[in-house]
Amino acid sequence: MKKLGWAASALHSVKNRGLLGWLLSGALIAFYVILYFDDKVLPGGQLDAFARHFFWFLPKAATPGKWTFYGFLYSVAMVVGGSWVLWKYRHNKYQIVRTSVVMLIQVSFGFSVPILLKVFSQPEYYFSYFWPLKFDYFQPSTIASQPLPFIVYSFVGSLLFVPIMTLLYGKRWYCSWVCGCGGLANTFGEPWRHLGTKTQRSWKFEKISIHTVLVICLLTTALYAVGALADLSAYPRFQSGAESVKAFYGFAVIAVLSGVLGTGLYPLGGTRVWCRFFCPMAALLGLIQKLGRYRIRVKKNMCISCGLCTKYCEMGIDVRSYAQANSDFTRASCVGCGLCAEVCPRGVLRLENRWPLDPPEVSFVDILKQRAAVSQKG
Amino acid sequence: MKIVIVGNGVAGTTCALAARERDSKADITLVGEESDYFFSRTALMYAFLDRLSRRELEPYERGVYSKKRLRLVRDKAVDLDAVKQTLSLNGGEVLAFDRLVLATGSKANFFPWKGLEREMSAATGESHLASGVVHFVGLQDLDVCEALVPSTKRAVVVGGGLIGIELVECLLHHGVKVTFLVREPFFWPVSLCAEEAALVLEEMKRHGVDVRLGDELARVEKGPDGRVSKVETMRGETLFCEMLGLCVGVKPNVAAFQKMSTPPRTRRGFLVSPTLETSLPGVFACGDCAEILSAGPDGAVNFESPGQALNELIWYSAKRQGELVAQNLFGDALVYEPPLFFNSSKFFDMEYTTVGDVVAASRTNPSWFAVAPNGRASLRVVHAQNKVVGFNVLGARVDHGILAKWISEKRSVDECMERFKEAQYDVEFGRVPVESFARRELPPTEVKP
Repeated sequence: MKKLGWAASALHSVKNRGLLGWLLSGALIAFYVILYFDDKVLPGGQLDAFARHFFWFLPKAATPGKWTFYGFLYSVAMVVGGSWVLWKYRHNKYQIVRTSVVMLIQVSFGFSVPILLKVFSQPEYYFSYFWPLKFDYFQPSTIASQPLPFIVYSFVGSLLFVPIMTLLYGKRWYCSWVCGCGGLANTFGEPWRHLGTKTQRSWKFEKISIHTVLVICLLTTALYAVGALADLSAYPRFQSGAESVKAFYGFAVIAVLSGVLGTGLYPLGGTRVWCRFFCPMAALLGLIQKLGRYRIRVKKNMCISCGLCTKYCEMGIDVRSYAQANSDFTRASCVGCGLCAEVCPRGVLRLENRWPLDPPEVSFVDILKQRAAVSQKG
Repeated sequence: MKIVIVGNGVAGTTCALAARERDSKADITLVGEESDYFFSRTALMYAFLDRLSRRELEPYERGVYSKKRLRLVRDKAVDLDAVKQTLSLNGGEVLAFDRLVLATGSKANFFPWKGLEREMSAATGESHLASGVVHFVGLQDLDVCEALVPSTKRAVVVGGGLIGIELVECLLHHGVKVTFLVREPFFWPVSLCAEEAALVLEEMKRHGVDVRLGDELARVEKGPDGRVSKVETMRGETLFCEMLGLCVGVKPNVAAFQKMSTPPRTRRGFLVSPTLETSLPGVFACGDCAEILSAGPDGAVNFESPGQALNELIWYSAKRQGELVAQNLFGDALVYEPPLFFNSSKFFDMEYTTVGDVVAASRTNPSWFAVAPNGRASLRVVHAQNKVVGFNVLGARVDHGILAKWISEKRSVDECMERFKEAQYDVEFGRVPVESFARRELPPTEVKP
């Protein structure tokens, strides 16, 4: 190991699940528990009162609350972390463009625009979020409170724009260019991106967990739709059941998985715990991505099996297993952050939006197989 | 069928996995002396750079070996009886085989330098903790290097090749001041031209390496504790150091087998036919340790008076040969024909890709050379009668497969330059604008008589 001074030792501990990493994770989890459940752990309304003081300069119509303050902290974390990422990868144009875009979207659509909308007496609306991630935009009560253009944006965006973009560019256009969750992971979360588990077992778990959440999410949406379209007063048991499913989704998925664990576990489980194992949007986009033209191209026979790509994959994909097998690939979970291509010392990997090469490349193994077949006949 | 493979490096492991693909019933044993599991030797530097752990160097999850039913034995082969078809191991086990594959790799070269007589007489090719004299080829070297750096302020690295520059980069990472002795007038002439080497030299200087071109190790002096304290160079310079890296190439690791009951024929490496079979029937060799003979006009190979041979000491060749041997174990007689040469490396932050012939051909032919204004990227195209024969690319990514295709199709230089974009492999938004570089014609390096 390298000789480390005290500052470097502390940093190493934070980045590699040392004592400081565990402490930081505990602190983050505590922060999220207070944020989501402040009415249960603090005397009522303290956080909102604090936020009102903090944003004293905003007009009354903006009605700043704890979520405004959280949005502010979130944006600061992304700008600070993003600046570091821009510096670290300053030689890589893809990283520069991607990081700048995701920072800009957070600061505008993810933070300032919703406040401005409120100032101009419009509903607080996030143009950068779509169903199924922003679950409430398909909720009848939300829809009823919005002007028509917002409703059209929600439906056209979620059902048309998002799938088409994903077919053309892969889920990366959303998960690592637009989304705030991915944005935080790729900026503030940069020091922990290597901590995600890469085992086959974790891949199996991921396939079950993320699609389970997707199914629950679709089911909950269906319940809302049924509730809005049909008069259910004759079926009180169905109604109360539907209510508890909705409440469970709000608590378990939104608060616990995306907030408390999703970000709280950065220093222990890596930065994409939420995105990889639980996010219903990532699940849906992943399925669409498999049908689209995005893929990671592998230069044939050039991999040295070093494993840096695998190590720095935040989604826990064993990229090396594809690279050393000379196999282009599209994994549902890949968010196209581009770090595998960045760290590869032989430039083997390339993110691409194009339909499979024509004619397909023939690998050395294929040639051997053909020759073996010929020699056996002869 | 019982298959025993000696060496669990890239050649041996690739062979084992390919043999399993071919035959689900074969009994396959991998004997490894250096490590329990196959690791990526080419990634050794990333472990020394603290970027990868030992475990992360392993290209396959450990479960693969049980899933593919490959038996791993950590031991050293001590005797080979090709008549009885048995291989004896140091631990006493005797492995019976129908087919044996020798994939013993290579070892670091060692020359009789003055002052290193003790190291010379000890097991050569290994690093020495007590004297601070190291190589950078295997896990043992990595262990010794890591143990030495905390007590090292200055180091001298000898040898202007790929392993040398890797070791230099690693030592710098550990805060060691490094002097890099390169015997040749410029860095790595077996692949680079003087103009390209100058760019790499600049890159080394940017990272704080003290490079001495055209100089070599003359004498080593040790302190009272037995640790190297200074070296003298051929040009008479004295360099103080606590560590000495010897990276002057590698040689096939065949010595142990030469002393066995039935030694296979060796010269530099194990002599093998074009189907990679040694002089002993049923015994094959692949990877760094194999010296591949060409067949005579009658199609046979003469092991007694071997002529020209091919000894490829690179990762990619070992992988290819391992795959091919696996087929020939089952009675195929596939001839090893290396594809058009390609290789890659990275000098600090500067990536390097080469395809085709960039050295021999450029002795008698002009090259087309383009350099980025900041000196951090370049492209050289070697051509014979205007047909491309080789590409050397620094600081930009290219798909070597496309360039190889162009060479095999004998495309013209103009066409290749016009279409060079198609072969570029840089990240999105980051294509290196090769077409805008200042370009010139480099004359042949040797003047025709």
